[in-house]
Amino acid sequence: MSPGITFSEVKKVFGEGASSVHALGPVDFHIEEGSFVSLLGPSGCGKSTLMLMTAGLLKQSSGTISMGGGEVIGPRTDIGIMFQDNTLVPWRTVRGNIELQLELRGLSTHERRDDIHRLLRSVHMEDFADRHPYELSGGMQQRAAFCQAMVHEPKTMLLDEPLGKLDAMTREGIRRDLQSLWMQEKPTVIFVTHSIEEAIQLSNRVVVITPRPGIIEKIINIDLPFPRDFDVKNSPEFAAYVRETQEIFRSYGVI
Amino acid sequence: MASFKGNRFLAMLLERARHSWMFVAFFIGFFLFWEYSIVWFDIPRYILTPPSVVIEKGAADLDRLLYYTYVTGLETTLGYAVAVILALPLGLAIAFSSILKRTIYPFIVCIEMVPKIAFAPLFISWLGFGLLPKVIIVFLVCFFPIVLNAILAFNSLSEELTMFTRSTGSGVWRTFFKVRLPAALPQCFVGFKYAAINATVGAAIAEFIGSDEGLGFYIQIVTGNMRPDLAFAGIFFLTLLGMCLFGMVTLAERLLIPWHISIRRAK
Repeated sequence: MSPGITFSEVKKVFGEGASSVHALGPVDFHIEEGSFVSLLGPSGCGKSTLMLMTAGLLKQSSGTISMGGGEVIGPRTDIGIMFQDNTLVPWRTVRGNIELQLELRGLSTHERRDDIHRLLRSVHMEDFADRHPYELSGGMQQRAAFCQAMVHEPKTMLLDEPLGKLDAMTREGIRRDLQSLWMQEKPTVIFVTHSIEEAIQLSNRVVVITPRPGIIEKIINIDLPFPRDFDVKNSPEFAAYVRETQEIFRSYGVI
Repeated sequence: MASFKGNRFLAMLLERARHSWMFVAFFIGFFLFWEYSIVWFDIPRYILTPPSVVIEKGAADLDRLLYYTYVTGLETTLGYAVAVILALPLGLAIAFSSILKRTIYPFIVCIEMVPKIAFAPLFISWLGFGLLPKVIIVFLVCFFPIVLNAILAFNSLSEELTMFTRSTGSGVWRTFFKVRLPAALPQCFVGFKYAAINATVGAAIAEFIGSDEGLGFYIQIVTGNMRPDLAFAGIFFLTLLGMCLFGMVTLAERLLIPWHISIRRAK
């Protein structure tokens, strides 16, 4: 099997019999190692479900998912995971929360002190290492959560709407930080979002998923150079990608 | 530096006084009203006595009051401590066992509906007038709120944190001590505090029903002797006892989960 992540005939049905809900699939596609792929679709299309199945935290009803050459059969520990509601615990500082990822894995926190500092610096959080999450704004909390999800240097990052609860201006800044983190560490990223612009700005490829049952309508390759800053969004190429994506959702009556 | 600190302390006192003077004034006013209304309305002394007499007569009977405070305090503390020691592990076990959740948990919820105080006469008839029946009543009053809050506490880890810990491959114990236990403590303390408030109630009522010492016994006897002054003195020490227990639980909360207090303040 090839490196990266491969989905073959992946399907998810919740419940059984007459009351069962066909949530997703069948889904077939491949994500190259080191690429940034967005799963884009309306609420309830099964994009989060697909991400959780990739993490091995939810079992697919049929089909197979393979990651890094091995089939996903249980919770994967070689990933970094992040949700809309972050997993920072209130009794630890930002640094303590990043160290929690290492401690739960039985890794030394001492050896990685420099790594933690470097990560914090790349998201402009080095001055807030000793603050508790409740002392930080929502945007800063998510920046800290990125560091928590990356400190063990996972080859795959699974991000479930990590910017979903932030205001539009904060999102702009964090997208830039997220992009630079990705360019620096080059993990394979699956990024779940329902923001068309966000998906296009950040990704190598955007996987457009239809309303339930979610199936892949189209995979759009985004041929724009990285890093993609604010100016890129004003380019005609960017606008064309946005239009192309919007057309799909319009045809489904989503927008 | 010392004077600076002193000034800050003074400033803090002034700030507190500014916020709470109305409460203090009302408090003083209440006791003044009590003191003088007895004269104004010509209330007989065997019905109600002014606070000044409560202090005077209470001080004269201080030895007995202090000893009975010790007796009731012992019953309360023992019953409370046993409740915490037994309820916490049981709550934990129920939270993590689907079998216990389907057997013991509904049973506990049903028992919680029963007023535990109603068992007091039975326990006294079974076990006599001594310490044990009172400890059991206090235990029963405290046990259920602690168990029920512990079950809630250990079951309410967010789905995100649950998935996060699973993705780290962390073992059961490591996850428990690093994530589940600290996350559960605030809700556990809800139970501890509720139980602390009710512990002295249980002890006093158990003493009303059958006892030859303790503050509940004292209040009942002096009321029978038409001595409301001493009854109020007994109530004062019972209140003090309850406040001490609650104060200690609050102190433990501050020491164990300071981050939780800070969040409450920040909000």
